[in-house]
Amino acid sequence: MIEIKNLTFSYLNPDGTQKSEVPQLSRVNLEIYPGEFVLVCGPTGSGKSTFLKALNGLAPSFTGGVISGQLLINGIDYLGHEPHSFANLIGYVNQQPEGAFVADTVLDEIVYSAEQLAMPEEQIAIRVNWLSNLLNLEHLLDKSLVNLSGGQQQRVAIAAALISGAKILLLDEPTSALDLDGATEVLAILKKLANEESVTILLAEHRISRVLGSVDSVLVVHGDGSVTKGKPEDQFNDARFAPPIIELGQRLGWKPLAISNAEANKRWIEAPANFEKLGVNQPHDLVLKAEDLVVSFGTVQALKSCSFELFGNQITALMGDNGSGKSSLCWALQGSGTRTSGVVSVLGQDPKELSPQARLSLLAMVPQRAADLLFLQSLADELHESDEYAEVPPGTTASNFQKLAGRIDTSMHPRDLSAGQQLALVLSLQLVKDAPVLILDEPTRGLDYAAKRALAKQLKNLRTTNRSILLATHDIEFVAMVADRVLSLVDGNLVSDESPIDALGAGSSRASQIAEITATPGLITIEQVKQ
Amino acid sequence: MQRTKRFHLLSAGRTHPGAWWIAGISLALSASLSSNIFVLLGISAVAMLTVKLCRDESPWARSIRFYLVLGLIVVALRVIFRIFFNLADAQSGILLNLPSVEIDLGFGNSLHLLGAVSTLSMNAALLDGLRLAAIILAIGMANSLANPRKLLRATPGALYEIAAAISIAINLAPQLITSLNRVRRSRGLRGSSKGVKAISGIVIPVLEDTIEQSMQLAASMSARGFGRRETHTKSVLITRITTFLALTFIVAGVAMLLISNSTQLVDLSVLIIGFVFAFISFKLSSGRVIRTQYIVLPWRSGDAVLLSLSAAVIMSAFGGLFSR
Amino acid sequence: MNLIISRFSIAIAGLASLLMFTWPLFIKAGEQNETLLAQTIFIVLMPLVLILVLIEFATGDISSKQLALLGVLIALNAVIRLLGAGTAGIETAFFLIILGAFVFGSGFGFILGASSILVSALLTGGIGPWLPFQMMGAALVGLGAGLIPRSGNKWVQNLWLIGYSVLASFVYGGLMTMWNWPYLAGVGTQLSYVPGDALLSNLTRFIQYEIVTGGLVWDLGRAITTSVLILLTGTALIATLRRAATRAGVGREL
Repeated sequence: MIEIKNLTFSYLNPDGTQKSEVPQLSRVNLEIYPGEFVLVCGPTGSGKSTFLKALNGLAPSFTGGVISGQLLINGIDYLGHEPHSFANLIGYVNQQPEGAFVADTVLDEIVYSAEQLAMPEEQIAIRVNWLSNLLNLEHLLDKSLVNLSGGQQQRVAIAAALISGAKILLLDEPTSALDLDGATEVLAILKKLANEESVTILLAEHRISRVLGSVDSVLVVHGDGSVTKGKPEDQFNDARFAPPIIELGQRLGWKPLAISNAEANKRWIEAPANFEKLGVNQPHDLVLKAEDLVVSFGTVQALKSCSFELFGNQITALMGDNGSGKSSLCWALQGSGTRTSGVVSVLGQDPKELSPQARLSLLAMVPQRAADLLFLQSLADELHESDEYAEVPPGTTASNFQKLAGRIDTSMHPRDLSAGQQLALVLSLQLVKDAPVLILDEPTRGLDYAAKRALAKQLKNLRTTNRSILLATHDIEFVAMVADRVLSLVDGNLVSDESPIDALGAGSSRASQIAEITATPGLITIEQVKQ
Repeated sequence: MQRTKRFHLLSAGRTHPGAWWIAGISLALSASLSSNIFVLLGISAVAMLTVKLCRDESPWARSIRFYLVLGLIVVALRVIFRIFFNLADAQSGILLNLPSVEIDLGFGNSLHLLGAVSTLSMNAALLDGLRLAAIILAIGMANSLANPRKLLRATPGALYEIAAAISIAINLAPQLITSLNRVRRSRGLRGSSKGVKAISGIVIPVLEDTIEQSMQLAASMSARGFGRRETHTKSVLITRITTFLALTFIVAGVAMLLISNSTQLVDLSVLIIGFVFAFISFKLSSGRVIRTQYIVLPWRSGDAVLLSLSAAVIMSAFGGLFSR
Repeated sequence: MNLIISRFSIAIAGLASLLMFTWPLFIKAGEQNETLLAQTIFIVLMPLVLILVLIEFATGDISSKQLALLGVLIALNAVIRLLGAGTAGIETAFFLIILGAFVFGSGFGFILGASSILVSALLTGGIGPWLPFQMMGAALVGLGAGLIPRSGNKWVQNLWLIGYSVLASFVYGGLMTMWNWPYLAGVGTQLSYVPGDALLSNLTRFIQYEIVTGGLVWDLGRAITTSVLILLTGTALIATLRRAATRAGVGREL
C-alpha cells in the first residue's frame, strides 16, 4: 500500500544550508501493508510529526526543507507533490481538532474535502451516511462544531479525513489535547476502523500504553534519522520514550515483553519483584495559607470555598478533571486572577495586594501555555529583559536557565525551543527572585516520558526547605513520579488531601499504570521496582 | 425565545441570507424612486420594524443601530448645510430669514453663512436626506438579518480564494480573542514592562499563536484537497487579457461620461462592452475552480413570502405609487 | 507576458477608481439628471473594478499558506476594530494593512486592504454603497505600502513607513470625503460641487468643505494613530511576520 524508498528529509536554515548535520529522516526504507494499524513512536523532537507529514506532502510543503527518495502509494510515486493532489488517498488528523476546522457545522466540516475534490453529490451523500453511522455522528450533523466535546470534535475530524475515499489515515497525537474519556472514545473508534473497515492507520500517540495492545506494529522514529518498524515487543530498546509497562518488563527481564495490562498482570503475579517503599519527604514550615477561597465568574462558581495549607520542601499535586477549577485556583492564589472571597497569605503577605514585580519574590507561576510569556526575538533578549525587569544582577536568569536546561545557543528564537526548553525558560524567568511558592498549571502538555522525567528531576531540585511547589495536572504518571501530597478537586470542591500512595495506588480511580498492573499496595512508580 | 417563536416563519436564522438582501435592495430601490416624505418614512419604519421582529442574538444583528444613527446624521447634515451655506437666492416663500454673515476664506473668495431660507429648498433638503436615510436603513436591515457566513458559502468561484481568506479570518477571530485574554492574563506574571515592551508583550505572543493556528488550518485545508485549480497557462493568459480589455473599456467609458456634456449612447455602449468583458473574465476564472457544492442553502416558505413582498414593493414603486 | 498584462490592468484599474472618486472635479454635464446618472453608474462600476483587480491578484496561484496569513491579518484587524469601536477618531485598521503589505507585497496588500474593510463592515455594520469605495481606498493604501523600499536601518525603515502612513491617511481621507461630498452637501449650497465648473474652483470649494466639516481633523487623527502604532509595534511585528513568511516559504512575491 505505502512503500517508502530511500526517503531523506532535512530542514533548512533561512540561508538555504541544512539545519543540522544529521537529516531529520535519512534513507528510510519501509513498507506499510493494507489495513495495518501502526503506532508511530519516538522521543520528542525526533521527527514523528515530520515523518507523518512527509507521507502526505505537508512536509516539505508546509514545513520547509528538502526531501528526496520515493513515496509509492499503490505503486505511484507522490514524492514532491502538493498535499491537495493526493488528498483522496490519504486522510490527515492533527492534535488540536478545533484548530483544523474550516467550517462551522459538523456536516459542512465533514463534506469539505469531498467538495474540494469535486466528488459527485450522490456519492457524497452515501459516504456521509456511512461515516456518520460508523462514527456515531448522526445526531450531531447539524450541530455547531464549537459546542462539541473534544472527543466528538476529533471524531468529526476523522470522518472529514475519510470522506474523500481515503483508505490511509495519518493521525498526529490525536488525543493529546483530550481528557481521559475523550481519548478512550477516539482510540476505540480507531480500533474499529482498523478491524472492521480495514483502514490503514498510522498513529503517533504518546499514551502508548493505551493502544499498544491493539496495534499490528510499532514504528520508531529514532531522532538520528533512522526509522525502524517491527513487532510491538521488539521496538522499545530505546528507554527515552518507553511507557511504564515496557520499562517494567525490561527491568524484570521479561521475554517477550508484555504489551497489555492483563498480560503484564499475569506475569507479575507469577513472579512479583521486590520494591522500595516510597520515601517520605518531611514537610517544613508553613509557606502559603488559603482560607475559604471562592472564585465565581458571573453565576458560575468555579471554586467553592477551598481551604488548605502549603509547606516548604513539599511538592503538592492538585488533581482534577478538565473544568474542575484547577486553573481558577492557581490564578486566584497567584493574585492576578479573580478571587471572589477568601484569604490568601504567603509568609503573611497577600499576593493580590502586591505589584506584579513585587509578587515575583513571593510567588512564581508557569501558565498552561508557557510560550505566552515569551515575546522577544531571541533567547538572549528574553534572559536580559528578565534581569532588567526583576532588577537582579545581569546573568541571574541565564545561570538559572543553564542549571535547568543546560547550555543552549542564546541567539535562538524562543519559539524555536522545544516544549521542554520553553518550560525551563519560563521557570527560570519566574524563579529569578527565588520565590518560596512555585505554581505550575498543566506543565506536562506535549511532553514525552523523557521530557517528563527531566522536568520531574528539575522540580525535585527546586524543592528546597523553604520552597513549596503546587502542581495542577491530570497527568497520573507524572504525579506518581514527583508528588509528596495529592489534593483532589471535584466541581470546585476540595474533596481529599492524601499521600500519593493512597491517591494513586491500586484500587483507586486514579491508579497509576504500575499500580494497575501490579495491584500491590504501596507500589505506584517504576522507580520503586528493583531490577 | 418568545420573539423567535412568534415570527418563526421569517426569523433571521431560518431565512435565506439572499432573500434578506433581495428584500433590502428592493426597499432601497423603491426609496430611491420615491419623492414622498411619508413613503420614505414608511420605508424606514418597515426596515426598523422588520429587524426588531426577526433578528437573533448574532453580533451583526446589533448593527442596525449604526445604520439608524448614520441615517439621522445624513438628514441632519443635509438640513444644516442648507441653512448655513445656502445660496440665499430665493426670492419668495421665505421660511426663515436669518441674518447673513460673511467670512473671508482666502483664495480670494468668501462664504455667506445663514441668510434667507426658502420653504422649497428646506423641503428639497429634507427629502434628499430622508431618501438617503431610507436607503441606508434598508441596506442596514439586510445586513442585520443576513448571516454573512452563509452568504460566503454562496460566493462564486472566481472569488473563491478571497472568500476562503475571509472564512479563515472569521474562523480565527474567536480563537484570537481567547488567546488575547489568555496572554493578557499571563502577562500579569511577568508584569507590564515599560512602554513599548508592554504592547509587544501582548501583541507578539497573540500574533505568533494566531499565525501558528492559521498555518495548521492551511495545512488541514491543503491536506483535504484545497487548492485544486486548473493552471493551464493558456487559459490564465486568456483570462488576463479579457480582464485587461474590460478595465480598458471601463476607464474609457468613465472618461467619456465625464467629458461629454450630455450622456450619449456611445458613452454607455463603451461601458456596456466593458461590462461584457468583465462578465466573460469572471466566468473564465470561475471555471478554473473544480469543486462540488454539496450543501446548498434551501429556500423555504418564509423566503417565498419575503420575495413576493419585495416584488410587490418594487412593482408599486415603478408604478409611481410612491411618488405622489 | 502574463505579468506585463497584469501590471497594465492594475494601473488602468487604479486610474479608473481615481476617476470614480474625484468625478465631481471633472464632470462637464450641465443637467442635474446627467450627474445623477454618473453617480449611480459609479456605484455599480466601483465594485466591478474592485472585483476584477481582486481576481487579477488571486489568479496568480495564491497558496493556502498565503490565504492563512491573509486570514490572520484580517482577523486581527477586525478584532482590534471591534475592541476599539467607539473610541472616536482612532483608526486602527491602517497600521496592520501597511505593515502586512510592506512584508508580503503589493498584491497581498491590495487584498488585505479590501477584505479587512469588508470583514469589519460585516461584523460591525457598515455595508452600503460606500463600502466598495472604502474597500478600494484601503486596497490602494495596501498596494502602495507594498512598494515601500526596504532598508537595513531600523530608523530609515520606520521613517519610510511613517511618512507613507501620514500620506496615505490624508489621501484616503481626501478621496472618501470627495466621494461623499455630493451626497452630504447635495447641490445648491456654496460648498457644493458645480458640474462643469473649472477644476480649480471646484477644488477650492472641496477644500472649504473639508475644512468646514472637520474632515481634515479625522484625517489627522488617522495619521497620528497609524504612525504611533507603527512606531510602537512596527519593528517587532515586521520581525514576527517575516519569520512567519520564511517558515511558510512565502516571500514578497504577490
